[in-house]
Amino acid sequence: MKGFEYVRPSSLEEACAALAGADGSGVADGPVKALAGGTDLLVQMRLGSLQPRALVSLKDVPGLTYVLLEEDGALAIGATTPLGVVETSPAVRRSFPAIAEAAACIGSVQVRGRATVGGNLCNAAPSADMAPILLAFEAEAIITDGRAERSVRVEDFFVGPGQTALRPGELLKAIRVPPLPAESYAAYYKTFRSAMDCCTVGVGIVAVFEPAATILSDLRLALGAVAPTPVRARQAEKMALDQPLDEGLIERLSAKAAAECWPISDVRASAEYRTTLVEVLARRGLTDALSWARKGGRG
Amino acid sequence: MKRELCITVNGDEHHLLVDTRRTLLEVIRDEIGLTGTKNGCGAGECGACTVLLDGLPINSCLMLAHEADGREVTTIEGLAAGGVLDPVQRAFVEHGAIQCGFCTPGMVLTTKALLDRNPDPTREEILHGLKGNLCRCTGYVKIVEAVEAARDLLAEVGSR
Amino acid sequence: MTTTVEEKQKQTSVIGQRLPRIDAVPKVSGEAQYTGDLNMPGMLIGKILRSPHAHALIRSIDTSLARQVKGVRAVITADDVPDNLFSFYQWLADKHILCTDKVRYVGDEVAAVAAVDEDTAEEALSLIKVDYEPLPAVFEIEDALRPDAPLVHDDKESNAIWSVQRLFGDPDKAFAECDYVVEGTYVTRQVAHTCLETSNCIAKWDNKDRLTIWTNAQAPHTQRQEVARVLGIPRRKVRVINSHMGGGFGARLVMDMKLPIAAILSKITGRPVRIVNTRSEEFTTGKTRYPYTMHLRTGATKDGRIVARDLELTGDAGAYHDKGPATVNFSSMMFGTLYNVPNLRFDGRLVYTNKEMGTAFRGFGNPQVTFATESQLDELAEKMGMDPLELRLKNANQPMQTTFTGAEISGCGMTDCMLAAAAGIGWEQKRIPAEKKALRGVGLANMVHTGGGGRFYGYNSAEAFIKLSDEGTVTLITSALDMGQGAHTAMAQIAAEELGVSMSDINVLSNDTDLTPYDLGSWGSRASFMDGNAVLAAAKDAKRALVEAAAEMLEAAPEDILIQESKIWVKGSSEAHDLSEIVDHVVNEHGLTISGTGRFVDRLPEGYTIPTAFAKNIPCFSFGTQAAEVEVDPETGQVRVLKIVAAHETGTTINQTMAEGQIEGAVAQGVGFALMEELVYEDGRIVNDRFLDYKIPNIGDMPEIEAICVESIGTNGPFGAKGIGEPGLVPTAPAIANAVYDAIGVRFYELPITRERVLKALKEQRDAK
Repeated sequence: MKGFEYVRPSSLEEACAALAGADGSGVADGPVKALAGGTDLLVQMRLGSLQPRALVSLKDVPGLTYVLLEEDGALAIGATTPLGVVETSPAVRRSFPAIAEAAACIGSVQVRGRATVGGNLCNAAPSADMAPILLAFEAEAIITDGRAERSVRVEDFFVGPGQTALRPGELLKAIRVPPLPAESYAAYYKTFRSAMDCCTVGVGIVAVFEPAATILSDLRLALGAVAPTPVRARQAEKMALDQPLDEGLIERLSAKAAAECWPISDVRASAEYRTTLVEVLARRGLTDALSWARKGGRG
Repeated sequence: MKRELCITVNGDEHHLLVDTRRTLLEVIRDEIGLTGTKNGCGAGECGACTVLLDGLPINSCLMLAHEADGREVTTIEGLAAGGVLDPVQRAFVEHGAIQCGFCTPGMVLTTKALLDRNPDPTREEILHGLKGNLCRCTGYVKIVEAVEAARDLLAEVGSR
Repeated sequence: MTTTVEEKQKQTSVIGQRLPRIDAVPKVSGEAQYTGDLNMPGMLIGKILRSPHAHALIRSIDTSLARQVKGVRAVITADDVPDNLFSFYQWLADKHILCTDKVRYVGDEVAAVAAVDEDTAEEALSLIKVDYEPLPAVFEIEDALRPDAPLVHDDKESNAIWSVQRLFGDPDKAFAECDYVVEGTYVTRQVAHTCLETSNCIAKWDNKDRLTIWTNAQAPHTQRQEVARVLGIPRRKVRVINSHMGGGFGARLVMDMKLPIAAILSKITGRPVRIVNTRSEEFTTGKTRYPYTMHLRTGATKDGRIVARDLELTGDAGAYHDKGPATVNFSSMMFGTLYNVPNLRFDGRLVYTNKEMGTAFRGFGNPQVTFATESQLDELAEKMGMDPLELRLKNANQPMQTTFTGAEISGCGMTDCMLAAAAGIGWEQKRIPAEKKALRGVGLANMVHTGGGGRFYGYNSAEAFIKLSDEGTVTLITSALDMGQGAHTAMAQIAAEELGVSMSDINVLSNDTDLTPYDLGSWGSRASFMDGNAVLAAAKDAKRALVEAAAEMLEAAPEDILIQESKIWVKGSSEAHDLSEIVDHVVNEHGLTISGTGRFVDRLPEGYTIPTAFAKNIPCFSFGTQAAEVEVDPETGQVRVLKIVAAHETGTTINQTMAEGQIEGAVAQGVGFALMEELVYEDGRIVNDRFLDYKIPNIGDMPEIEAICVESIGTNGPFGAKGIGEPGLVPTAPAIANAVYDAIGVRFYELPITRERVLKALKEQRDAK
């Protein structure tokens, strides 16, 4: 791998300053990248697809690794929190189990020991496994430049393959996931969990039902790995509202969701197959949501 | 560019001058000379390079050495205390879970970490925990048997 | 031998046990060194510059910038290496150490550097400027065979490079006269061995101008010859040293070009040079299983006898020759043995393409052919209205049978294997239409393989040496090559059993061509049979000397001397002596040593040559059956293998745990071959050269596996043993394919049976209705 400058700031301000433009030796051109777990970065550097001018290690920057349940029931996760912590955190498993499930799908236990939530989002692969469920929860990305903070919807955080809404000198600081009403079914569906797959297709679903009914007051269907960024199947979502959810509607919704993606064909899957999988996973998610609602919001 | 690195491996502190490009795997194998940890793919996809970082299994090929500054690493050589095999190691030996042995150090460390965190895993949890360790020789059958045997042995020892 | 299996089991104390491997502790503690773990003072790192084109002329190479990089000690191209051509079969030699005028596949070796470290070597590689002129390339067999196809090798008339034909009986007549005929085309693709340890070597010359290479080789003696041959130096100048190996599966049989490249770099620099494959290089240049396209016809009479088979197979050799002819020949021998079919035609061909070349891979052409033949047998059974198990039972090979094609079968447990596999999967129950679960199915497949290598390379002997030291420990020197399958443990067990010595008193020495007798290596499941017989002979020889010495010392008749667990006593007396006492007596009282030499020679039957012997080239056959149960997800096309029952002959099981381990590991590779694995090309470049995208089964992908070792009598392996290394891979794919048909009524004629292909087939099935 080519040489790079390795910077290890000990505060958020220093880190953002370093990200804004570190001087020094290393590769003349090339981006300055924040380094957390490194499980994506190192692979790209070894393949040669990424040759950073500098790596800004977040190892010693305090206050970025945490899982907190806020007073209003929202979940806050620091950007450098390892996925393994999200997977096993009692708070997440109790209050936001779908997010723990999504984290559990990524890579292996070894990868999850280092890979972070922030890294998964900032790498911005179309297949980022944390994205669909965070989109479905309408989570927010808290961004800092060392002085002030701003937030964007995670959905808007993804701008293109490998591209985020971060400006030079900015760092993703945390994710904030608003709480859902009690009558919500939330889950993440990924194909072929036994394989250590990069997500072939992932569907995150949040289905909010009217109390004691099978009518959806809100539906969020987020699709991963089937478009340049993770996307919401907004037309399908709109179609679902204000009527009882049943098997027939589920069929129509799934087909609609499948029509709202534009996947590529690659060695992992053809575009056609990915589209089929979107329909299958959406159907499974909606079916599980319906059966959950029918059981009175249990099981 | 070289930089000072302080890292504890199997209880021994090492002060080294290491190029920032070096991975933890390279430092363990080349600078410290512990070759039990293997390089299988260089991409975190096979688990042969697994070491325990403060007790957690990680792919050392994907970690820059300097990211382990000030931390404790356990490699396969650090398991057998005073030459006595750890129960996980014993179980692997007794149940035929080793053939070519290249995946073994990683497999054993991941198993140890699994049982340390979850002393009574179900089969599902065992499979989930070892998904990141590839083996081409055994078909995993006797590996699962060995993990279950180690679990039972540790439970027995623990209950005494 | 007329003992029964039960009597056999009572007679042995070490053979057949579940013993831990003798190298388990070093491996589990991290002590075991593989060649990549070795270190030498002054060692340089070598790297190879490989062609990015599938087919191109090399107009010029400019290494000047690379040479100037600080820390670079040597840069070589074809001008700097001997001009010799190489292949496993020298008369088919077609590859230079470094490409001269053109490159023939993406990955072909063009230049190499040696530098003080890996980063420097990589930098130097990036500065070598090669001026390529791309040429049209061929990637498919049909394209390669077109009359106007670009030639992969310009000195050949076409890309069709080799063929063999076999004819037995009168197939045309038999087909015309039989009652049922089924025909079909079957395709298998390139799959990779994916040993966890990648190919690597260290080359070093000493002051007497002798070359030592440390490398992970399955056949160090033949690789030594190969290195000498391609370098154009005398064989006595080359020594190959092995260490623990991280897998082989056939990938490590024929020399990799990195060996002579490292040797030349070492010669130039005067320092040891190490070259290690990256995982990507391992996938793209490590050589693959030969993909086969097979046209097969099977004919049977209405009473269920298979009377005729006709197989036309074309193997894609890739860009260079390797084990292709041997693989296709072996395919023909297995094809010619199973079911003792009286009328057979076989036509096998190899074709060059501009792709990664093939080599030996566990099963050696048999998994491909068995996929075709066992899939087609099920089609035949269906056409005949016969149960697939019944059809197979009716045609089972028998013990002590010489087939129509001349295969000499001694021990044969084929029927036992079939019954065990069928029972284990619940065949009877699960085939009852009313009992069938939707989307679930069961399938069977048989196989025959060699259990002892083959005589077809000419030399087929093995030797072993045993010495007893004055502490009563036994040193066994064997050429048996342990690539992870446990050969050294098996040899130790054989010696321990025969000598009456404890396993813990046996030390196995091997791995050095200066030390061990010439041997062809571990392939064809031959180590237990060939090297095992040599070890047995050496143990018998040493035992004779030991018994004589004990008889003299204890003043008893030799036939009254008993030895067990390293203790010796006279029959009728309870006074046990340590083995060390006897040895000590011999050494110090008589001034002599106790040792043993053993040799096993396996010859072709009188009157036959290698080409005329056909299946008589196989000293012992191993039969087996696998039964699979699968469940298909009709929405995603995912085939989940629920269970595989694998019943395989071992003759006599040497080590129950290890034998099961071989079967289980082979089944895992079979599952990968059937459902998951395929090297995918785009314009001649492999695009899935990582574990992420070339999927091998992980721990979560595995079915329940029941491995059954079926014993039989009549085999002249050591204690009646047959090899078990490869058979477990041979019938897995057709067992799964047949189960898939039972589950969803779709037959797959191509491997792998991926989810997309299943989904597509299900859609076509729906559309057809």
